[in-house]
Amino acid sequence: MTEFINRNKKPLTWALYAVAAVLILLFIGDQLAGKKAARIVQTLISGVLVGGVYGLVALGIVVINKASGVFNFAHGWMMVVGGMIFWSFFTVSEISLLGALLLSTATMLMVMSTVSWRNLREGRNPLITVGGIIVMTALMTVGGIEWQWLHALVGTFAGAILTGLAVERFAIRPLIGQPLFTAVLMTLAVAEVLHGVTQIAWGTVELNLPVFVDPQTNSRFRPIRLDAFREILDGLAIVRVELVIAFVLAIMAFIGFILFFRYTSVGLAMRATSEDQQLAQSVGLRVRVILAITWAVAAFLASIAGVLQGGAVGLSLNISFVALRVFPAVLLGGLESITGALIGGIIIGIVEQFGTLINSSEQVGTNLAPYLVLMLVLVIRPDGLFGEKRIERI
Amino acid sequence: MANIHPAGVFDTTYEEDMSIDRTGRDKLWKNLAFLALLLAPLLSVSGPLGLGWISDQYIGLIARISIFVIAVQGLNILVGYTGQISLGHAAFMAIGAYGSAILARELGFSFWTALPASALLTGLVGLLFGLPSLRVKGFYLAMATLAAQFIIPWVLRYPMEDLTGGTRPLNVPAPMIGPFAPYAEEEQDIAGFIRYQAGDAYFVDVITVEIRDRTGNSPYIALRNPAGDSVPAGDINMTFMRDAEDRITGYSYIATKAGEYRVEIDTDDNTGTFRAVVRRSKALSFATDTAMYYIIVPLAVLLMFLARNIIRTRTGRAFISVRDNDLAAELLGINVFGYKLRAFFLSAVYAGIAGCLLAYERNSLSLNAFELDTSIEMLAMLIIGGAGFPLGAMFGVTFIRALQEALIPTLRPWLSDILPQLFPFVDAINITSAINPIVFGGALIVFLVLEPRGIAHRWEVFKAAWKLRPYSY
Repeated sequence: MTEFINRNKKPLTWALYAVAAVLILLFIGDQLAGKKAARIVQTLISGVLVGGVYGLVALGIVVINKASGVFNFAHGWMMVVGGMIFWSFFTVSEISLLGALLLSTATMLMVMSTVSWRNLREGRNPLITVGGIIVMTALMTVGGIEWQWLHALVGTFAGAILTGLAVERFAIRPLIGQPLFTAVLMTLAVAEVLHGVTQIAWGTVELNLPVFVDPQTNSRFRPIRLDAFREILDGLAIVRVELVIAFVLAIMAFIGFILFFRYTSVGLAMRATSEDQQLAQSVGLRVRVILAITWAVAAFLASIAGVLQGGAVGLSLNISFVALRVFPAVLLGGLESITGALIGGIIIGIVEQFGTLINSSEQVGTNLAPYLVLMLVLVIRPDGLFGEKRIERI
Repeated sequence: MANIHPAGVFDTTYEEDMSIDRTGRDKLWKNLAFLALLLAPLLSVSGPLGLGWISDQYIGLIARISIFVIAVQGLNILVGYTGQISLGHAAFMAIGAYGSAILARELGFSFWTALPASALLTGLVGLLFGLPSLRVKGFYLAMATLAAQFIIPWVLRYPMEDLTGGTRPLNVPAPMIGPFAPYAEEEQDIAGFIRYQAGDAYFVDVITVEIRDRTGNSPYIALRNPAGDSVPAGDINMTFMRDAEDRITGYSYIATKAGEYRVEIDTDDNTGTFRAVVRRSKALSFATDTAMYYIIVPLAVLLMFLARNIIRTRTGRAFISVRDNDLAAELLGINVFGYKLRAFFLSAVYAGIAGCLLAYERNSLSLNAFELDTSIEMLAMLIIGGAGFPLGAMFGVTFIRALQEALIPTLRPWLSDILPQLFPFVDAINITSAINPIVFGGALIVFLVLEPRGIAHRWEVFKAAWKLRPYSY
């Protein structure tokens, strides 16, 4: 018996998985039996749409993990910070000059002093710093409320870069050479601090972020009704336009960042650094700068995701929980894989929406289903669908 | 940490080398500290001696610190000694807390049996969530425990809502020794009401009223306490006895206030005649903070001592070898997975005990106390105190609680004054709840950067310097 098991370990494992999969499918089928086809199609579509934003969040986590080997637990709070800064610039009609000046000064100082503070004095750097501050402040404050998009985009960009660089400089960089555990705890500590700061600055009330509005009526879009499929689906499927726009923008951002990693010299340097830091250093790349850029890029990604999520479902501190739901997506896709991030995000989005469809009152979709998937992934395939297999060397 | 030999003390046997108390003076100091801890409530304002040297709030504070010391010590076994990250410790505490509360409420367990039973239950659940450690490690395992942190409260909140009350707080009865044999028993026909003298804060009276000679109808029982208030039906101190047809045949009540109690027994239509037997017996109740202190603090000291000793056994050395290098440990013939599971079990047992104590200390339970933030808080306490040091848990919890009790109340009015003036968009209401995570995350960042080995390491250095004086080595 034992010999038989030992000899046929692989087929037996797969048979076990198959039985488990059939059981799970039967359970889901049983749960969905009473639902109309239209509801199921609608759930599937909104799952994919929600998953697009999750993919973008997952990309931010993967980028940092690839470059510095740190799993960023603070990503959700970076999303909140980005979304809230966007809200401040977007909805306030008169931007305070002092606030804009402070933000752009801090950002430019952090950018220019990434290598060292001495760098600020060298060559034309003082000029660039002052020029950058003036240009950014001007872009943030020019005109009235009709320029809100420009204000918000520049402000969010500056805020995201400031957040990313500050986290990297004051929290991650001092830990170089420390065990991984310390870095994980540090991101948790950063998450706590960001939590407090956002709560002081913007409060716990849900804010209305009217980014996805109909330009003609200046109100929320009316949902798309799939009337054409009414016969086939035995009912009306409704798709929210906000989710569609958020999904399209998320996919565009996703593609943009992939192109950035693939075709720009900075992206190439980032990929090289994530491959092997010492090798990258030895061919003349400034690893410290690359790591700082990585954090800034990740913070920017988080900000975009925060704005999209905030615009689609409402902006509040609860957005940070999105990042917790994205962790299963990251693991499912594989920690090192960028495509995996998107696919994992979409799968988790679908799982979440179906969980909500099965039982909407008990938070199955948001608080249970993603974590069950997480446990499954950890037990069956810890490296994820597209991740590198970890090989241990002694 | 190398053992520091005090100047002039030499070990001649292996036992001496391995002993915890290396010199007589060590032993003396430890015993004195323990004695001082035990004496503290006696000197407090509400203590039996009525001295009032120590404020009551410090007694409660020490008890709560001790509870978290137990929980963080469990985390220390898992994180500090075995090197497995856990983000789900608060969820295990929740199992201990709700497990003991449900055992006491639904199955009639007393505190003394509910405590080990819930600890064991928590240990088993800990084993379950330790299973992924067979295949994954490092922060992948942290992910598995993160899943535990979400799945366990969800299970407690929704599928088990009938037992746990869901989001509503759950009342927990106070621990009690006894009741002992009845010291007074009287049988009388009820004419309206019965009166008797009873009650004490520590030696409470358990009043049992048994109704005999009933005619038909189910009686209506009301109890008035010394203040004259009617005791509500859902009072955790009162239990009704029912017969097979679900009619009330009597009740028992734990009288904690001294004075005259008054029972009224009646039927709805005033026709019934009853004969009631009233028994009074004494019991030792732990409802007060001072009494609870004597359960929590000795238990915390005992569990700290136990953890210290586990580390000195074969199991503890195996834990440390798994932490330092799991591959090398496996090559040495250590069953890595087995020891990881043992660490998970032990850690969860500690968490379960802490959760159970928390439930009985507060007398009221709510799931909000066991969220992800609490898990992170406990990890932070461990890191600040010093992971992998026997005293790390104590230092960390005490430091963080001191911060919360001393620093935040002084900072709050000052910040509420300054910040809204400086930034017009800041609302002073938000500062109160937001200041805790900032102080707390800030402290963790400072410690991770400046002293990743924690306060306990500093303490060892200080102790070494003190013991070696006047020489430097």
